[in-house]
Amino acid sequence: MLHLTHQLELFPDRSVTLLLFNDVKNAAALRKKAMEGSIDGALINPAMIVDPFQILVAANKAVHLHKIGKMKTRTLYAEIIFNLSPNNNISDALKKFGISDSDTAVLIVLVVDREKTVNLEDVASQVEGQQVSLDELPQLTDIAKVKKMYKLTPQEEKIGTLLDGIICRMSTKDVL
Amino acid sequence: MAAAGGAAAAAAAEEEEVAAVAAAEAAPPLPLPGLRLVQQGAEACVYRGRFLGRDAVAKLRLPKRYRHPALEERLSRRRTAQEARSLLRCRRAGISAPVVYFVDYVTNSIYLEDIVDSVTVRDHISSVQQSGNDASSLLPLAEKLGELLARMHDEDLIHGDLTTCNILLRPPVEKLDLVLIDFGLSFVSGLPEDKGVDLYVLEKAFLSTHPDTETVFETLLKTYAASSKKSGPVIKKLDEVRLRGRKRSMVG
Repeated sequence: MLHLTHQLELFPDRSVTLLLFNDVKNAAALRKKAMEGSIDGALINPAMIVDPFQILVAANKAVHLHKIGKMKTRTLYAEIIFNLSPNNNISDALKKFGISDSDTAVLIVLVVDREKTVNLEDVASQVEGQQVSLDELPQLTDIAKVKKMYKLTPQEEKIGTLLDGIICRMSTKDVL
Repeated sequence: MAAAGGAAAAAAAEEEEVAAVAAAEAAPPLPLPGLRLVQQGAEACVYRGRFLGRDAVAKLRLPKRYRHPALEERLSRRRTAQEARSLLRCRRAGISAPVVYFVDYVTNSIYLEDIVDSVTVRDHISSVQQSGNDASSLLPLAEKLGELLARMHDEDLIHGDLTTCNILLRPPVEKLDLVLIDFGLSFVSGLPEDKGVDLYVLEKAFLSTHPDTETVFETLLKTYAASSKKSGPVIKKLDEVRLRGRKRSMVG
């Protein structure tokens, strides 16, 4: 599917939509727009993402914290990116999980109110690249980079998938 | 600083009291959207349902009205945090425990991986006994349990509520793939006393729930002792704790 949308069970008035782009030529310009806040979405480096579930977990937590006014970052979209990180260093998270100027693939995450009709074409048109199906995400994942980032233990890899280890760290990092 | 914190806590405590009263009066407490209530334990309500595209279990802590609201809030939060922390600690050590999907510190609820079609060790043992098999068929399970607990204690992780209801078997049951759950009362400790008590709790739960399983538990302990390098003092403490138990006065 060209995009994936999931209605958050705990926040039924919100939906999360994922869009994936390859052969992107204007990553630098997009990154600038994201920093200025003129693009409505979180721009994520797909190399660090192993499964859409990873994004949903990050987005769910971001929406939750946004609702109670307890986000660690200043915007919902920065919060989603921050939640992907296994540690509590915000700038490190934005650097590692956000896009960099040389990236050729971009994953865009939107959080929309159910009432509002969001124009996916609007967002897609700002990207100079090819929108591809999310099924292609595994091809864009850099497993080595992901493993290095999340630092799974060898014992952990025996009892679960890489994704399991990632999710656990994402969801419990603020209690440690 | 402390005074301001106290004032904030008092204000929060008042709100908690209102919420707690409301929650306690509605039974069962706080049905969550799209999730179905599976069990109401002493500590929490357990729900099952879909969460972010996966089968999940949601545990909501039950507010205890007899507690002072400020204490209730703190205790609830601490238990939730302990549970999340322990689950991660287990996984990092290679001990099977559910993956944590989301922790909500407002309602002190935790959303976890649902081990689909799992059966509790309790139900498994009961069904084995009911179908007439004798306890010797449970010995491999006992060995696996001993190994698992040894590994957990070697990580200095105390479960705090070891019963056969808190250990699951992933399907197919023959694989003896064990998963530990319910870490709400868990804590970190290297003390043999704490590990001994952890085992004692399991022993009491085991023997009272499953009659004629003394040999099974003995095997569990033997395997535990063999698998853990630190087991010597723990078993010693276990023996001591056993002597301490109810109605075990060493006086006249």
